[in-house]
Amino acid sequence: MKKLVEISLGVVTSVGGFLEVGSMATAAQAGATFGFQLIWAVVLGTICIIFLVEMAGRFAAVSHHTICDGIRERFGFNVFVWPLLATFLLSLMVLSAEIGGVAIALELATGIGFQWWALPVAFLAWLLLWKGTFGLIEKGVSMLGLVTLCFVVAAVMLKPDWTAVAAGAVPSLPAHDTASYWFMSVSILGASISPYLFMFYSSGAIEDQWDKSYLGANRAIAGLGMSFGGTISVGVLIVAALVLATHGIDQVDDYHQLPLMLIPVFGFWGFVLFVASLAIACFGATLEVGLQQAYLVAQGFGWTWGEDRKPRDNPGFSAVYTVSLFLAAIPIMLGLDPLRLTIFSMALTAASLPLTVVPFLFLLNDKRYVGEHRNGILSNAAVIFIIALGFVLAVVTIPLQIFGGT
Amino acid sequence: MKLLRDLLDKQVVDREQVKIGKIDGLVVELRQGKPPRIIAIELGSITLARRLGAGPGLWMARLAAKLGGKRHGEPHRIAWHKVRDIGTDIEFDVDVRQTSIFAWQDWLRDHVIGRIPGA
Repeated sequence: MKKLVEISLGVVTSVGGFLEVGSMATAAQAGATFGFQLIWAVVLGTICIIFLVEMAGRFAAVSHHTICDGIRERFGFNVFVWPLLATFLLSLMVLSAEIGGVAIALELATGIGFQWWALPVAFLAWLLLWKGTFGLIEKGVSMLGLVTLCFVVAAVMLKPDWTAVAAGAVPSLPAHDTASYWFMSVSILGASISPYLFMFYSSGAIEDQWDKSYLGANRAIAGLGMSFGGTISVGVLIVAALVLATHGIDQVDDYHQLPLMLIPVFGFWGFVLFVASLAIACFGATLEVGLQQAYLVAQGFGWTWGEDRKPRDNPGFSAVYTVSLFLAAIPIMLGLDPLRLTIFSMALTAASLPLTVVPFLFLLNDKRYVGEHRNGILSNAAVIFIIALGFVLAVVTIPLQIFGGT
Repeated sequence: MKLLRDLLDKQVVDREQVKIGKIDGLVVELRQGKPPRIIAIELGSITLARRLGAGPGLWMARLAAKLGGKRHGEPHRIAWHKVRDIGTDIEFDVDVRQTSIFAWQDWLRDHVIGRIPGA
C-alpha cells in the first residue's frame, strides 16, 4: 500500500514536471504549422525519455550514485568536464527560457511587459530553493502542474479525427516547408529528451534514499509518468492544430498568439487556464533546472549537496543555484524574446545529447555499479538508438537552425 | 586493485560522513624492485587543473595563491594511511574542519551566504 502511494505520487510528480516551456512551445508550433503530422516526434521523444529516466533511477537505486557522479567516476575528470560544461551552459539557457515562460504568463495576466517580471520570478524561485525542502519543491510544485491536464481535456472536447491523430504518430514526409518541418521535429525531440530531466531524477532518487526495493516503483514511475507527460504534449499539439490553424495562425512566432488555444473550449476560463498552465509549468521547471545546476556542480566536484540542508551548511551548493537563477534572469530582463530562446535552446539540447547519453551505455552495463540489474537487450537497444539519434541531431541541428529556424 | 579505475574520481568523505571532494589526484611513490605505493590523495582545483594540462595547472595554482594566500598555492593532500573505508564513498579519518579544504566554502558562508536572511 505504501509503495502504491509512493508510485502514484511519483507519477503525479513526473506528469507535473514533464510539461515545461520547451514542450509547450514546440508542440504548439508544430500543431499550428503541420497539423497532426509531427505527433510522431512527441511519441518518439517520450519513448526515449522513458528509457533514460528508468535507467537513471535504476542506476541511482542500485549503485547509490547519481548519473553525474557515475560519469565522473567511470570516465575520469578529463572526459567529465565536457558534459559538465555543455549541460551547465545549456541548462542556463533553458533556465532563462523557463523564467521567460513565467514572465510571459505574467505579462498576459497583468499587461505589464515580460522584462519586468524576470527578476521577481527568479527571486521567488530562489526564495523557494533557499527556504524549501526537496519534498516541497518536488511534490508541491508538480501537484500544481497537474493544471496542464486541461490541454488533454480540451483536445478530447474538440473531438479531433482520431484516425488522423493516429496517422500523425507515424513519421511521414512534409508536403511543404521541409526544412522547418525537420527543425521542429529536432526541437520537439530536444524538448522531450532533456538531460536535466534524467539527471534531476537520479539526484531525486538519492535525495529520497532509494535502494533496490524501489526498482519496481522506478519502472512504474518512469513508464507511466513520462507517458502521461507525453500525452499532455500531444494534447497541446492537437489543440494548436485544431484551434490556431482555424484562426489563420499557421506560424507561431509570438507567445501572444497562444492564449487563444483554450478559449474555444473553455471560453474566458480558457484564457485563465492557459496563463496558469504556462506560469505553473514553467515555474516548476525553473525550480527543477535551478536546483539541477547546483546538483550538477556539487556532485561533479564532490561537495556536500542536498536541498534539505540549510544554505549556511551548504554554501557552495546554494551559491550555484543563486548565481544561476540570477544570470538566467538577465537575458529576459534585457528583453530577449523568450520564444526564440526556447526554440533555440531546445534544438541545442538535442544536439548535445551524445555527450550525456553515451555514458548510459557504459554505466548501465557495468557490473561494478549495477551488478545483476544491468541493462537487458531492450534497454541497450534503446540506448544505442538514442545515441545514434543524438549523433544525427548533433549534425543536422545547426544547418536546420539556419534554414528552418524561426 | 586498479588504482586509476577504483580510486581516482571517487567521492571522499571525512569521519563525520561530510562530502569533502573527489579524489582528484593520487600521490604515488615509485620503489625500486617493488610495486608502487600510494602515499596520499590530492583534492582541489589545482590538481584538477593539472589533469587538464600543465598550463591550466600553473594558472590555477597562481590564481589560488593570489586569492587564498600561499598555503592555497599547493593542492590539498590527505595521507593514505588515514583511509578507513573504501565503498561507494572513500572515508578518511580526518575532520574537514581541521583542514583548509573547505576554506573557500567557509569564506563564502561568512561573507556572502550567511549574510543573506534565512540562511
